Amino acid sequence: MGVGKNGTADPLAARLAAGDPSAPEELVHRHYVELYRYAAFLLGPGEAEDAVQECFARAFVALGRYSEGRIRALALRPWLYRILLNVSRNHRRDGRREIAVAEMPERGDGWCGPAREEVMDVLDALASLPERQRTAVTLRYLQGLSYAELSETTGWPVNTCKTLVRRGKTRLATRLSSEV
Amino acid sequence: MEYEAEIRTPLERLGAVFSPPRDAGDLVESILESGTDALLLCPSPVGEVFVGLGRGGVRLVRRADVPAEEFAACYRRRFGRLLRWADDARLGRMVSAALAGEGTAPVDISYVTPFQRRVLEVVSGIPRGEVRPYSWVAREAGSPRATRAVGNVMASNPVPLIIPCHRVVRNDGSTGNYAFGSPIKRRLLASEGVPVEQIAGSLYVATPTTGVFCHLTCRHARRIKPENRRTFRSAQEAVAAGYRPCRVCRPAV
Repeated sequence: MGVGKNGTADPLAARLAAGDPSAPEELVHRHYVELYRYAAFLLGPGEAEDAVQECFARAFVALGRYSEGRIRALALRPWLYRILLNVSRNHRRDGRREIAVAEMPERGDGWCGPAREEVMDVLDALASLPERQRTAVTLRYLQGLSYAELSETTGWPVNTCKTLVRRGKTRLATRLSSEV
Repeated sequence: MEYEAEIRTPLERLGAVFSPPRDAGDLVESILESGTDALLLCPSPVGEVFVGLGRGGVRLVRRADVPAEEFAACYRRRFGRLLRWADDARLGRMVSAALAGEGTAPVDISYVTPFQRRVLEVVSGIPRGEVRPYSWVAREAGSPRATRAVGNVMASNPVPLIIPCHRVVRNDGSTGNYAFGSPIKRRLLASEGVPVEQIAGSLYVATPTTGVFCHLTCRHARRIKPENRRTFRSAQEAVAAGYRPCRVCRPAV
């Protein structure tokens, strides 16, 4: 739904539909960082690159086959997240990884981000959430999707998304504060 | 909203942990290379052309008299792949040379029918400076009665210039039609050294010294002395006059 629930059509979708040869590169550049980040969170940094690669591969296969009208109507960002969620589900189903939430990546000495313990606490807390709540909370706050985009990614109604996010947040907050 | 800050801050900080490495340019490139096909704008003897390339080679060549979008849209409908601008000077030089008839570039015609493929492969083998009639192509492709069908394959040649369909002429030696227009076909052939005026009406030439007849543009025919040249309008006439076909250019009788 390019004229999505937030009412704005994505000009890049129109350019992809029309055959603009600069559009594919722009699509990858615009989204690969956030998709990589989410894939690293879901599957671990070791598999993020493969997952993003596969996500775009599937997207381009679809873009090669869809009708122009269908491409123009795509909300690209949630569409890509939806593909990535499917890809990561398959990765897990393939037995490549049992746990749902990735462990923390190794960082070099120059790392000045959050401390390892702090990150592990948040990851543990997220891992304790029911899957739908975790998906909703992380897409909303880790990835910054709007509720409309979240709904389009997951296929759940907007109000369901809001409920899941609210419950997830409550649970997460309780868990995080109890650990202090 | 309650818990907003409590949750938002740790999650946003978490995002930084999972960022991709800074040298992720390779990832972007390999995503684009495997997911889409390459588009080039190349100079050619018929003016600038768009060239669409898959992994197996050149798949489509069209004159650049339409916007790139239109070419890409046509390519997508035909091959189900998006095109991206290819930023590859080496590839560009190779394809330009092949378009000019001065080199070769891999072509991907895997999607055509077996008959079309046989015909296009035969045509690929016609050397620069020589021409062959439609009936010869049909025979070489193993379907001697399919002269007209050869004409159709030429008309829809997906990679003109690289597969030199302009070197296929009518059975009477006149140059015939061309996707880019027959004047351009004559000019192209002339620039490759084909005596366009001479072949019209007499596509075959024989010499009594050997008793062999050739296509007029066959490299062996070029050595025949002017006083020995006997021209024929058709291979049948040459055979009737007692000549045998050349083993190199193999005129179709």
